[in-house]
Amino acid sequence: MAQDSIGLSSDYQFWMQKLSVWKQASTLETQQDICLYLPQFQEFLRQMYEALKEMDSNTVIERFPTIGQLLAKTCRNPFVLAYDESQKILIWCLCCLINKDPQNSGESQLNSWTRGLLSRILAAFRSDIKEVDLFTQGLGYAPADYYPGLLKNMVLSLVSELRENHLNGFNTQSRMAPERVRSLSRVCVPLVTLPDFEPLVEALLTYHGQEPQEMLWPEFFDAVNEAFLLRKICLPVSAVLCLWLRHLPSLEKAVLHLFEKLVSSERNCLRRIECFMKDSLLPEAACHPAIFRVVDEMFRYALLETEGAPEVLAAMQVFTRCFVEALEKENQQPKFALKTYFPYASPSLVMVLLQRPKDIPQGLWHRPLKRISEMLKEIVEDETQGSSGGPFESWFLLAHFGGWADIAAEQLLTSVGDAEPPEALLWLLAFSSSPGDGPQQRAQTMVEVKAVLSHLGRLLGSPTPSARDLLAAAGESGEGDPRPPACQQLTRRLLLNFLLWAPGGRAMARDVITLMARTDEIMHEIVGFLDQTLYRWDHLGVDAPGSRKLARELLAELRGQA
Amino acid sequence: MDSLLQHLERFSEVLAVSRTTHVSTWDAATVRRALQWARYLRHVHRRFGRHARIRKALERRLQNQWKQEGGSGPAPALGLTNFQALGHCDLLLSLRLLANRALGDAAFHYLLQELFPGPGVPGAEEGMLQDSLALLARRRAAVHMLRSGAYRENPVLQEDSLMKTQAELLLERLQEVGEAHAEGPGRFLSRLWEHLPHNNFLKVTAAALLLPPSSPRHQEEESELGSPRRAGEQGRELLHWLLGKSEVIAAFCRNLPAGLLTSVAGRHPEVSRVYLGLLTDWGRHLHYDLQKGIWIGTESYDVPWEELYGRFQSLCQAPPPLKDEVLTTLKSCKAQDGDFEVPGLSIWTDLLLALESGA
Repeated sequence: MAQDSIGLSSDYQFWMQKLSVWKQASTLETQQDICLYLPQFQEFLRQMYEALKEMDSNTVIERFPTIGQLLAKTCRNPFVLAYDESQKILIWCLCCLINKDPQNSGESQLNSWTRGLLSRILAAFRSDIKEVDLFTQGLGYAPADYYPGLLKNMVLSLVSELRENHLNGFNTQSRMAPERVRSLSRVCVPLVTLPDFEPLVEALLTYHGQEPQEMLWPEFFDAVNEAFLLRKICLPVSAVLCLWLRHLPSLEKAVLHLFEKLVSSERNCLRRIECFMKDSLLPEAACHPAIFRVVDEMFRYALLETEGAPEVLAAMQVFTRCFVEALEKENQQPKFALKTYFPYASPSLVMVLLQRPKDIPQGLWHRPLKRISEMLKEIVEDETQGSSGGPFESWFLLAHFGGWADIAAEQLLTSVGDAEPPEALLWLLAFSSSPGDGPQQRAQTMVEVKAVLSHLGRLLGSPTPSARDLLAAAGESGEGDPRPPACQQLTRRLLLNFLLWAPGGRAMARDVITLMARTDEIMHEIVGFLDQTLYRWDHLGVDAPGSRKLARELLAELRGQA
Repeated sequence: MDSLLQHLERFSEVLAVSRTTHVSTWDAATVRRALQWARYLRHVHRRFGRHARIRKALERRLQNQWKQEGGSGPAPALGLTNFQALGHCDLLLSLRLLANRALGDAAFHYLLQELFPGPGVPGAEEGMLQDSLALLARRRAAVHMLRSGAYRENPVLQEDSLMKTQAELLLERLQEVGEAHAEGPGRFLSRLWEHLPHNNFLKVTAAALLLPPSSPRHQEEESELGSPRRAGEQGRELLHWLLGKSEVIAAFCRNLPAGLLTSVAGRHPEVSRVYLGLLTDWGRHLHYDLQKGIWIGTESYDVPWEELYGRFQSLCQAPPPLKDEVLTTLKSCKAQDGDFEVPGLSIWTDLLLALESGA
């Protein structure tokens, strides 16, 4: 407790000094400075209140002799009063100074002075035009009655002035001077969360002046972005789009905010992730290529940093899905060529990847899969093509549309035992799980996978395979598995697919999973696989009630265990 | 029902007293009671908002104060004036008490505790008043910042926010007064004219006459409570009063800027008729000074030529039918004078000549 009070004392000195410099926030520099410190000052006020509420009026004066000055200066600063909850906290602090039963003239005076300040914040602030005051009083209205209406009219008037610029274009008379627009954006900084100001914020964001440079204050964009991310303001997509296009740091912050939310919230639930994603408005905004590129870049960076973390991959896939959906909804004819979104990729490859499996009959899914595989193979294994950025770029592109690799795995499984598994699908799987492999290693992986598939195929025939049989078939030998981790992951995926699709799978599912999940990470992977599979089935409308039921049950059980 | 009305009466008294020095006799218990009553009435507002019969009965009782003759001084000592005000009667009471210096220290201390319980469960009943008061302070700061920062007075008077707000308030009051008593608006307006600065009052009247047909402030709330208020009706009352008072309409036409008057005349043909009549009257008072070669008046209150010309010019820039009406009037006056084409003989000739050359 003593430590807190020492901290508070030094803060106190700091803010006293600040307030003296700020005075009434009349100059540009002071306004700029105040806007930077508004959140911290509010925090300080809160701490002061917590300290003051424990004391009685006399103790307060003993402890903080200059508190009167501090509070009075704050009352005179309209920026502080306009910000968030600062005015409320200030009132609380003032209430702490009121003495219920003043014993001497000093205490009475303090009471009187404090009441004056309270009155000033709540009841004064006359319109400083005498006639208006007289008129409203004559009608019998108090300022409290008409201030909301006055504010609304002022906002409307400013909004129509800003919008006029749009329409009038070159009509110099009605154009709002750029300096005024700038000063307006400054005034808005503490007030973005006031609902009355929403139309004004929107009008400022969508305002396009004649000047080549940005007239709006950067702190304005920051404040709007913060308020938007914390859901303290409601803005239409067009306004948010303007915000992000005009102020890159806001866009970056929005993406980081999303990442944080995804990491901290329930992982492994794609449905939830989709909700967050859509709420963030990023997929919709990404229909504008500049925004898409920035977001994509951040995903790329995140993947590189985390070395392909499955959470980041999943988030990117959901993002791409929502983005494609938004793109289709927006217009029949795409406004921008695909190349603007994916400049490093071959347009024909992008076209194929963008195809919706939903639009293709399930029996024909192998066709686009084959094409994708062939095209990728050509790009990746062609050594002379140095410009394509190596296998990473191709893998990164494929990872956006991760559903294809999953479908490939499923296809291989469901057709096991029929014929030889198509090389194209094997290649695709191998590539997607381990893009950095050289051609020999990849060939080796493909051979392994083929072996697993043929073992599984044989097991289909046997009457009641046991869990151990299955694992043995898959080459899951427990500790000391010589195969590389990517290959092991692939195997697990195939196994799980088998459990979901094979008739005998249900019986041994739990045993198999228990034996497979040697580590937490693997358990995580299994849960992720189940969630992803169900999510994909829902979106593609796959009709497989038995498999679906099993997957759901398993997922629920495993989640319950975690 | 009766007890409800009694409560209402009692609370109205309390509200009226809360502004006077009488509160010096109040202690914490009195404050508590007053706040409780306010809360109760707010609850009544919420519950019976859709109940037409009860609402009407309450409104009738509240409108009684308008029926009282001879308001003391310029500002009526108002309590609650309509059913809607019940919705925030606790806010009204609180603000009055907070500003009243006569309230004793102990009572004030109690009031603060009740109004500002501090951080706690947000959205709880007790917290609502605290939040409303904080919002009020915040909005005030916002208005202040806009005015000293980016806001400029709109040269088009009827678009100016302050003017518009005053105009909206005026029409709202007229509505209430009109509901209480058929002749209420006329008397009310006369009283305002007697006590308020004329210049501002006239401007607000003009702005009120130019408000778009359905722009009352509480339109959303009104439609909820089922009594739509139209600016059109009160505008008619205002116009009726204005045209009935020769002193007022003369000042209206004389003192307000030409452009504003043209807009009003364009919207309200009755005004254009009176306006033109006054203008022709003023014109007749001027005579031609041969030496100086200009039209001048003899008395100090005579309207000078420049102003007369300016007003006619503005009127001629209005869209028809006003423009046509003005030109017809001028031409007929010119004909009456003898239909001269030479300048210096009839002011109407000269005006028409100037307008044509200026146009």
